[in-house]
Amino acid sequence: MRNLKKYLFLSAVSLAFVSCSSDDDASAVANNVTLSFKNTFGDTEIILGGATSSSASVNTSDAGQVHRFSELKYVISNIRLIKADGTEIPYNVNNLDKGAMVIDQSKSSSLSYIMNNIPTGEYKQIKFGLGVRSDLNTLDQTRFPNFYATAGANDTEMMWEWGTGYRFTKIEGFYDTDNKEMSIHTGSTVEGTNGDESTYIQGVDAYRNIVLDLPVNAVVGSKAPKINIKADFDKLLSGVSNTITLSTGNGMGDNATPNIHTAVQMVKFVDNIGGNGTTDNKGMFSVLNVEN
Amino acid sequence: MKVFQKILPLIFLLASCSKDDYEPIVYDNPELSINIPVVFPKLNNSFYANKPTKYGVALGEKLFHEKRFSADNTISCASCHIQSSAFADNNVQAIGIEGRIGLRNTPPIQNLAFMRFYNWDGSKLSLENQPIVPIITHEEMDSSILEVIGKIQNDASYKELFQKTFGDENITPERIYRSIAQYEYTLISANSKYDKVKRNEATFTENEMQGYQVFQQKCATCHSTELFTDQTFRNIGFPINTNSNEAGRARVTGNMDEYMSFRVPSLRNVEYTSPYGSFGQFATLKDVLDYFDNGVLGADNLDPVFKNNGNRIPLTEQEKEILISFMKTLSDVEFTGH
Repeated sequence: MRNLKKYLFLSAVSLAFVSCSSDDDASAVANNVTLSFKNTFGDTEIILGGATSSSASVNTSDAGQVHRFSELKYVISNIRLIKADGTEIPYNVNNLDKGAMVIDQSKSSSLSYIMNNIPTGEYKQIKFGLGVRSDLNTLDQTRFPNFYATAGANDTEMMWEWGTGYRFTKIEGFYDTDNKEMSIHTGSTVEGTNGDESTYIQGVDAYRNIVLDLPVNAVVGSKAPKINIKADFDKLLSGVSNTITLSTGNGMGDNATPNIHTAVQMVKFVDNIGGNGTTDNKGMFSVLNVEN
Repeated sequence: MKVFQKILPLIFLLASCSKDDYEPIVYDNPELSINIPVVFPKLNNSFYANKPTKYGVALGEKLFHEKRFSADNTISCASCHIQSSAFADNNVQAIGIEGRIGLRNTPPIQNLAFMRFYNWDGSKLSLENQPIVPIITHEEMDSSILEVIGKIQNDASYKELFQKTFGDENITPERIYRSIAQYEYTLISANSKYDKVKRNEATFTENEMQGYQVFQQKCATCHSTELFTDQTFRNIGFPINTNSNEAGRARVTGNMDEYMSFRVPSLRNVEYTSPYGSFGQFATLKDVLDYFDNGVLGADNLDPVFKNNGNRIPLTEQEKEILISFMKTLSDVEFTGH
């Protein structure tokens, strides 16, 4: 019994220590890291607006088409921080409720994401997914009720019901001087069980793994660093992989709308903003700076 | 010891809350013996991992008719999948809650155990993965699986059926999907006049016989096997659905060669499943045959059957008539309850 009491006492003491720790305690074992996303055309932060808005940011693509967005959303998940020694620290990578976010340009609170309890150390690189990995992309309301609710909310609409998966990006807007509608949705259509030979696997995987080196190490310890990430949507039409000319119509090659809500034209846009998965693993993303 | 004195009563208190006196009744839930027509293609692999059982099928049938699947409790699976229409309906496009119009024509639910692809674009490869889709789709039931479970979980008749099927009362999404699929696996139509002729239990009329011969010449390339579909996806130049969510099979695969290609429909019970086409472009079978005869829309990926023949299947009026006579021999009055 005496031992038990001793342990209880020790636990209480250690708890007390934890609760006494503060930002300036150099012995902290972990701290927060904040990811902040700035959605831009080039260096200018995007202002959303409709066809008649005078304040909306207007961008011109390499193909010479002016365009503007009225809605801009995308999903980030599977976040991993890489220490200077190469150790990978995954952040709730298998839990969409705790490790995934819907970034919505119309909601400033959605542009920052605080990661808790990141182990003390220096970090040189960040990896994350644009979209949701296939194994988690099942609209499983039981496992991830919070993310399901966030993505499915009426003002968010980040679900692709027929494909039983989440939308990875949802961009609505207008293009050309006559302001034709553009509507670009991406998401995976993969169906089938990986590794099960009896099951044929079909579809397009729109998930992209992003790898970004940090310009200076993010130092987690007494301070909680902030990593400022730029998502340059100029790349949507004028990317490393594809220079896209938008066109409206019902033909196979038409891509602005209609038929963009399908896998047909989607991959070109996905490769531009998320990289092609082989030679480009940055897409539209870059690190602006690290605030230590 | 004081610690124990404090904790022990707590433990007993907790233990007394559990149902010590509850002994689950174990029901015998045998696999159903299903009469599988020997001439049909092989079963989908998923069938073997979810074989229909006595209570699983009963539960699936009850869920199939459950209107609480929809947000406003007005629509069940059976609202669009009506037995007398071979578990399709006769609307141009499916109609969900509040009269919302879906993208496509409701597909019949028959002989699905033998299919490799589901839906007109083959988006699903196993039946167990399908029921979630109409539940959550805005134009269909516009609900969520947890909302559905919340509505039915205190229903004693469900508790009993889940107990009998799965050994306990827990209602889970997976169990709902599996029991609906089990029920659907049992919906086998193989007792039409055509089947009886094949079994030497009936004979074709002269018109039906001639129609069958024309069918074999001009239709059986695609409408092959005893399901009357080869389960391939083809663009046959039907009028195009301009909805931005439509690209046919290419919506799923992203493959331009499959743009506006759709799964070749089974012709079983085709008499009962009008209108025809992915979004009900044709009111009658005669309209479809006239369209083939007059010429279909051109496309880069138009099926060679049409492309190599001037974009048409030439048919005389006499041929159309006898083809329809033959197609009506694929009607299964027992299956559809006519």
